[in-house]
Amino acid sequence: MRGYLGVDVGSVSTNVVLIDEQERVLETLYIRTQGQPVKAIQKGLEFIRDKISTDVEIGGLGTTGSGRHLSSVILGADSVKNEITAHAVAASKLVPGVQTVLEIGGQDSKIIILRNGVVADFAMNTVCAAGTGSFLDQQAARLNLPIEEFGPTALKSTTPVRIAGRCSVFAESDMIHKQQMGHNLSDILAGLCEAMVRNYLNNVGKGKEILGPVIFQGGVAANVGIKRAFEKSLGLEVIIPEHFNVMGAVGAAVLAKEEVTKTGTTKFKGFKVADADFKAASFECSDCPNLCEVIEMSEAEKIIARWNDKCGKWSNAVAHRKKIS
Amino acid sequence: MPVKIGVPRALLYYNYFPLWNGFFRELGCDVVISGKTSKAILDKGVKMSVDEACLPVKLFFGHVVDLREKADYIFMPRMVSVERKSYICPKFLGLPDMVRYNIPDLPNIIDVTVNMSRNEKNLIKSFTEVGRLFTGNYLGIRKAFQKGLQEQERFERLNQLGFLPHESIEQMEKGLISQNYSPSHPGKLTIAVVGHGYNIYDAYISMNLINKLRDMSARVVTPDMLTNDIIQDRSDELPKKLFWSMGKQMIGSAFHYMRSQSIDGIIHVASFGCGPDSFTQELIERYLRRSRNMPFLNLTIDEHTGEAGVITRLEAFIDMIQWRRAAQ
Repeated sequence: MRGYLGVDVGSVSTNVVLIDEQERVLETLYIRTQGQPVKAIQKGLEFIRDKISTDVEIGGLGTTGSGRHLSSVILGADSVKNEITAHAVAASKLVPGVQTVLEIGGQDSKIIILRNGVVADFAMNTVCAAGTGSFLDQQAARLNLPIEEFGPTALKSTTPVRIAGRCSVFAESDMIHKQQMGHNLSDILAGLCEAMVRNYLNNVGKGKEILGPVIFQGGVAANVGIKRAFEKSLGLEVIIPEHFNVMGAVGAAVLAKEEVTKTGTTKFKGFKVADADFKAASFECSDCPNLCEVIEMSEAEKIIARWNDKCGKWSNAVAHRKKIS
Repeated sequence: MPVKIGVPRALLYYNYFPLWNGFFRELGCDVVISGKTSKAILDKGVKMSVDEACLPVKLFFGHVVDLREKADYIFMPRMVSVERKSYICPKFLGLPDMVRYNIPDLPNIIDVTVNMSRNEKNLIKSFTEVGRLFTGNYLGIRKAFQKGLQEQERFERLNQLGFLPHESIEQMEKGLISQNYSPSHPGKLTIAVVGHGYNIYDAYISMNLINKLRDMSARVVTPDMLTNDIIQDRSDELPKKLFWSMGKQMIGSAFHYMRSQSIDGIIHVASFGCGPDSFTQELIERYLRRSRNMPFLNLTIDEHTGEAGVITRLEAFIDMIQWRRAAQ
């Protein structure tokens, strides 16, 4: 049997999925990146290796997410795609006929509008990361509430309080104010969910035509409080797909499969990568006033790639690699 | 030894450099341009300038600092208006003062006022005022002014042929005055990049936007490739007259490109905190959605912008266009 791997390395989580030739999802893994993407990728690969039987042959591998270049260097990827395209591909494959994709991840949020199975428009949050997963994590930690209980607690609310959601710094002080006034926890959490949704629809969703079926994916889709707030605000049913938290990786795997059909061979280095010794180092190049911070990745003491130089002198020095950013 | 006139490679350099260059050279001065934008230049600019300024203004400060040791004079006209009843952004108006009071030890600043809002003949008065710093020969000043206008005309003609302004300037330096064919940039797609010249042509602050698009096999067209008549015509479609010259250029060009069948998508580039741009973006997006389902992307740049975010959006934008095409 032949399978395809998709790897999504995001700010908060690293996800790995395995799909088969019919694009059915066989294995999924969602782990926290914890600031160490290389380790997370290796851990993910190890997990898949232990799960699958020996007759599965990996036909291709695709990467996406903010760490897509890093992971493609480590793993050897057939397709390296941005997360917007990957999410759109996965959504249109797994939920045929979808017209709107709401996606909230760890540090970014996006909206993708599809019409007739094709992306018609998209938007992504700007510099500000207010109202994304990291903020919810941080607030749950402050309230000493496990993040898994955030949603169910918010659902218990009967009268959500109004919280200023424009900026997470202000939202936090507003929440503290409401809590000192004596509002109960579930009302405050439900209020926060509504504030986040309001902020999302006014910023990311500004001017977009949101039509059903609407699906909600990304790590934050696990939070039923946010789902309910979306439904209340849009007046539409919001569907959470089965693999909501690994959709980017599913898209990457599908794209890898398409790429391999064209090229015929895979660049995947194999599962041995999980045990290899990778070291990343960086240095500041002082040859011109740009002072680029060049990153150097080595595998078993051998430099395999360099990137982040504007002129390409360092990345080109590692001959067979093309400049990646 | 000829006097050295320093011109910062920022802001209106991308619009009027050939006019200034032609004028000063004809007067017998040397023209020195500041270096291409680098991290060092931007850092100096951010450090020296006022906090509230937009990124291109901060960058201008950096380019002025870069010229400090290289020139006898720094040319920084106070641009109030370049056409009747229409104005340039107020930040340009106060630019010479902002520079003078924030950067120490500068050479002489030539900050002649250019205000054509009441009378377009005021331009020659401004140039005469500058010329008199170097010569008492009025005829010579007039001749230099004419030379500048000629150069500017050639420059605009090259732009309209499809050269980007900084490429036109390069071509003119090399001796190409005008040619009858456009530069060939074959591409599978054509993308209109609508934004101020000082943002989109500066490879550093635009994160090399134009070259990235070209690498993705897109042909790039910009507002500077259109004639003033087209810009004026198209922007007249708004119910009210626009009184910011540059905003008018953005609106007019976007309205023109959104009608064109050969354009696959529009990217609007704005600098964070730009007042006029916040309106033009909104207007362009609204009119675009009303008339046609054309891909539109808005990019905002400031000194904190990460390159990764820009690449992600650009890639997704190009993917979207190609995906749409494949589906048709």
